[in-house]
Amino acid sequence: MKYQIAIALFSAALGFAGSATAEDVVFTSWGGTTQDAQKAYWADAFAASTSINVTQDGPTDYGKLKAMVEAGNVTWDVVDVEGDYAVQAGKAGLLEKLDFSVIDKSNLDPRFVTDYSVGSFYYSFVIGCNKDAVEACPKNWADLFDTQKFPGKRTFYKWSAPGVIEAALLADGVPADKLYPLDLDRAFKKLDTIKADIIWWDSGAQSQQLLASAEAPFGSFWNGRLTALAATGVTVETSWENNITAADALVVPKGTKNKEAAMKFIAAATSDKAQAQFATATGYAPINLEADALMDAELRKTLPDMQEAPQVNADMAYWAAHRDEIGTRWYAWQAK
Amino acid sequence: MALSATASTGSSGTKDSGFGYLVPALLLVAIFFILPVLMLLLRSVLEPEPGLQNYATLLGSTTYLKVFLNTFIVAGVVTVISIVVGYPVAWLLAIMPERWSRLVLAIIILSMWTNLLARTYAWMVLLQRTGLINKTLMGLGLIDAPLPLVNNLVGVTIGMTYIMLPFVILPLMGVIRSIDPAILRAAALCGATRLQCFLRVLLPLSLPGIASGALMVFVMSLGYFVTPALLGGTSNMMLAELVAQFVQSLVNWGMGGAAALVLLVVTLALYAVQLKYFNPNRAR
Repeated sequence: MKYQIAIALFSAALGFAGSATAEDVVFTSWGGTTQDAQKAYWADAFAASTSINVTQDGPTDYGKLKAMVEAGNVTWDVVDVEGDYAVQAGKAGLLEKLDFSVIDKSNLDPRFVTDYSVGSFYYSFVIGCNKDAVEACPKNWADLFDTQKFPGKRTFYKWSAPGVIEAALLADGVPADKLYPLDLDRAFKKLDTIKADIIWWDSGAQSQQLLASAEAPFGSFWNGRLTALAATGVTVETSWENNITAADALVVPKGTKNKEAAMKFIAAATSDKAQAQFATATGYAPINLEADALMDAELRKTLPDMQEAPQVNADMAYWAAHRDEIGTRWYAWQAK
Repeated sequence: MALSATASTGSSGTKDSGFGYLVPALLLVAIFFILPVLMLLLRSVLEPEPGLQNYATLLGSTTYLKVFLNTFIVAGVVTVISIVVGYPVAWLLAIMPERWSRLVLAIIILSMWTNLLARTYAWMVLLQRTGLINKTLMGLGLIDAPLPLVNNLVGVTIGMTYIMLPFVILPLMGVIRSIDPAILRAAALCGATRLQCFLRVLLPLSLPGIASGALMVFVMSLGYFVTPALLGGTSNMMLAELVAQFVQSLVNWGMGGAAALVLLVVTLALYAVQLKYFNPNRAR
């Protein structure tokens, strides 16, 4: 009996060691329809062409990432994180420098390239509305913050990140080019006016569920989640007026044992073809500037970076510098 | 309880106290449970710099105090409602014919075995503004606008009470079953009304079951995470959510550790109360 247990443990340990060989990458992202597309067009294609196996994990968790790096036991090799976090974590020493001899950055959108990160995909916070559930849909941020004209619940992203603060300031009449530095007092005062009518979404899937069930018939959404929802037959109206853009980033946690393979995976994921296919499937914009040529021209026009409506670029450097301060205040305000 | 009883009778026959056999298990607990908790707690006095500033921030802010207060309110309300709803069920189970009580018990236990997330999401679907309950009530013309049943205290209370009920029903059922029915008959023969029978005989005799069930539910509720996170709103956050927020979203482990320690101290204090006053071994 004892022997059996020992053998079982031993073989389990072997299996564990075996799964962590050099030619193996663990990719972590946020789950849902977005990670499905990342798996299909980045990971599976990469595995097929290189024989490096890609294992999916998730959701991304900054606490976990920090714990792994500090403990020296990094099990995530490539992680999809928010752009401002990538900048901050790079400065905090939690990330490996990217190897730009493997990753070709000449075609990557330079706004999202740092020593420690490259863009993953490019998205917008837009105003989404379930047309069947309401008489009129809000057209801009001021409408979304107007509970007289548009009574009922509205939904916003729960976590502290670029997007909601900007939306509040835009709704309060701050011109788009005067947003930064963010006037937090003014933003929270504006948010106070609709606080009782906000239902927070904490995951993309939840935002889709809230809108589809009309639990919250309108709100602020990641544009790709609306594209995915519309594809399931829900009558979604999207307003791109002053859509607020941000990008996710791909990073490599410091101390990964599969650094080389991780760099290769990032190179493949940011290639024109992988980016074009991912964008086609999700409605997010590619961060590889050559991807356009590989995409259907009509579809390309619907993506965040091709909208004719005015657009606001969230200032990632500002957010990276003030992430902790804004976050602390944000959660304290929510709990009030 | 039963396990420790057999273990002690088993080892009493030999000279060896049996402690040596416990070492592997104790090591496991120490390495995987006690050590990580200690490390997190250490961070609360070491990060970002040594000192008690994390505790000062935590206890000095009205926002965080509100979270503490809210945690106790939710735990208290859930405990009271669990007892009020669970008591009749336990009573019924105790006096039902056995084959029926077994069936009802199986239903209760089966619900305990069902995945917590699935059960909580089910409540979300039922309680939301466009959910079954609101749609039915509106269809019947009983209400004009949907009742706010979720993303607030109401939702948390309903969801958590549902999850905690078995923890009240099971100990209560045991205690009520052990009460000799002849005592109730004697009370009735002496002229006590039904209400008097309940209030002056059954209730006092089942008090130990109420107390241990209540304390268990209260302590479990204090540290509950999933249900409040899904069915509650941000303005009635509980302590466990605050800890998760510090650790995951703000990556401020000093504050996370401090909040966790406060939760741990309160829980251990309540556990000490339970051991001192409601220890079933002592009552016997």
